[in-house]
Amino acid sequence: MSKRILVVEDQPDNRQIIRDMLADTGYEITEAENGAEALAAIAKARPDLILMDIQLPVIDGYAATRRIKTDPALKSIPIIAVTSYALSGEEKKACEAGCDDYVPKPYSPLQLLAKIRQYLS
Amino acid sequence: MSFNAPQELKDFITQNPFGPGRHNAAGRATLERRTVQIRDALADPEYSYGAKDIEKIGTILAVPILKGEDLLGVINIFHLDQVRLFTDKQIALVETFADQAAIAIDNVRLLDELRQSLQRQTATADVLKVISRSTFDLKTVLQTLVESVARLCEADMTAIRRPEGSAFLHVASHGSPSEYDEYMQSHPVEPGRGTVAGRVLLEGKPVHIADVQADSEYTMIGASKRAGLHTTLGIPLLREGTPIGVIILARRKVQAFTEKQIELAITFADQAVIAIENVRLFDEIQDKSRQLEEASKHKSQFLANMSHELRTPLNAILGYTELMADGAYGEPSEKMDAVLKRLASNGRHLLGLINDVLDLSKIEAGQLVLDLNDYSLQGVTQTVYSAVEPLAADKKLGFKVEVTPDLPPGRGDERRLTQVLLNLVGNAIKFTDAGEVSINVGVADGSFKVAVRDTGPGISATDQAKLFQEFQQADNSITRKKGGTGLGLAISKRIIEMHGGRIWIDSTPGEGSTFSFTVPVRVECQVEAA
Repeated sequence: MSKRILVVEDQPDNRQIIRDMLADTGYEITEAENGAEALAAIAKARPDLILMDIQLPVIDGYAATRRIKTDPALKSIPIIAVTSYALSGEEKKACEAGCDDYVPKPYSPLQLLAKIRQYLS
Repeated sequence: MSFNAPQELKDFITQNPFGPGRHNAAGRATLERRTVQIRDALADPEYSYGAKDIEKIGTILAVPILKGEDLLGVINIFHLDQVRLFTDKQIALVETFADQAAIAIDNVRLLDELRQSLQRQTATADVLKVISRSTFDLKTVLQTLVESVARLCEADMTAIRRPEGSAFLHVASHGSPSEYDEYMQSHPVEPGRGTVAGRVLLEGKPVHIADVQADSEYTMIGASKRAGLHTTLGIPLLREGTPIGVIILARRKVQAFTEKQIELAITFADQAVIAIENVRLFDEIQDKSRQLEEASKHKSQFLANMSHELRTPLNAILGYTELMADGAYGEPSEKMDAVLKRLASNGRHLLGLINDVLDLSKIEAGQLVLDLNDYSLQGVTQTVYSAVEPLAADKKLGFKVEVTPDLPPGRGDERRLTQVLLNLVGNAIKFTDAGEVSINVGVADGSFKVAVRDTGPGISATDQAKLFQEFQQADNSITRKKGGTGLGLAISKRIIEMHGGRIWIDSTPGEGSTFSFTVPVRVECQVEAA
């Protein structure tokens, strides 16, 4: 069965890039536009990895990550934080929220893909 | 003062003071400023002083005690019951006494003045001390002022009124009953003749009222009566001619304040003005610095938001470019590939500019925090070499790296140090058109030393001085030709200084440049900006 990746990103263009990036990989993609949708999507179908944008409406990426990581049934799902906040301490904040990895925007799709493969292999 | 005089005569003289005039000997001595002898008082047609009705006065000698033109007193010598002229010798003797007396009286006066002036100086110094100790605490300063002015001007009650809006409020007092204070606090004063403060404000100068209880225009007689206040003095606190308060001094009896006391009160008023000004300025500065802090916070937040807003579209631009170059949308033609490379390089340049501006503003706001970890300087050098080697190759420049073998492991912010070295090497390649660029890495005396040498145009001494300042390049026209924000070296300098290191340049125009920096091998804590 193919691995499922949940892409949490509110910006359509950036969702499209990830979709294009993953097009030929055989991974199954589900999408969410904010933290609340992400939690609902996870409840419906458990993903194998989450790409979590941090600056999101409704429930932000950190809050969603904290909820996932405090749920014993979900906490083993790797979460890669994607953020465009460039103030110092952002990486530390991602760590504290429970993210497994941190990618600052703008990211290289190829490098991000390599990172995803590493977690899913 | 008298000696050997009958009691009745003594009493009469004490109770019947007199001025200059022909009516008696002392009066004449006062009038003429010289020794006067009256041969027979009873026979003298001009002598009219009542003393002659008490004693049978005969000859009188009056010698003035003079200090220059100032009359300090008169020595009177009487022959009672007989007429007997004083001899020249006797007169000379008394005059010598008078001279001595003048000196003695003057000495006492000088001593007295000295003591008073010392007292004033001590008081002024005391007040100044309090002012300097508590510039931010107006209440304490005003309280000290009312207490000191009461003591030194011998007032039973003192108070200060300060303006609020158009009225003046009772803000500090000393020696007054609480009922009086409450009354005054609930009665703001405006310029007018009905109150002491109002009259001072009206006239803009000190006002001295012999007895407020007997003053027909005074409207606060009830309160003054209950507090038992009579003689009152009001002094304006003037700042550049504008009243910023009034000091009021009052006595529980009718006794005018002396000129000295009024002068002293004016000195105190001046001190009060300084104190009030100090507090106002202090408050203003605090207010300003609060505003600045707020503005700086807003600026940082603005930059963080701005940076976020700029990165989001840039992510799409760079992301699509990379995917296109990678063939995600079909294999690109050679021509298209070249365009995609330009797109990627310009996108990265834009990102560099955004990062530089953000870095610098973070440094300025004191928000740049070094991430101190163990690192390998050899590794940093290798990373930088790999990143810029293609650029050197494109320009057909020689590119050499010399690293002292067995470098000790370093401790510092690896990412930031990489940024610095990348900046220096990137600049060297950017500004060198022929020849070579080399990196030399060594260690000595507990510090790493890194030098980046190029065979570029070199930099004049004048331009070297500006090099590490924000938005400065050696030649502004270079910005247009070579690009760059002119922020790289300023940021590098701050990063190196935060590591406790030093960065500098050695260059001669026409002979290339060497940029060097040192950082302690082990940096355990960040050095705050000076």
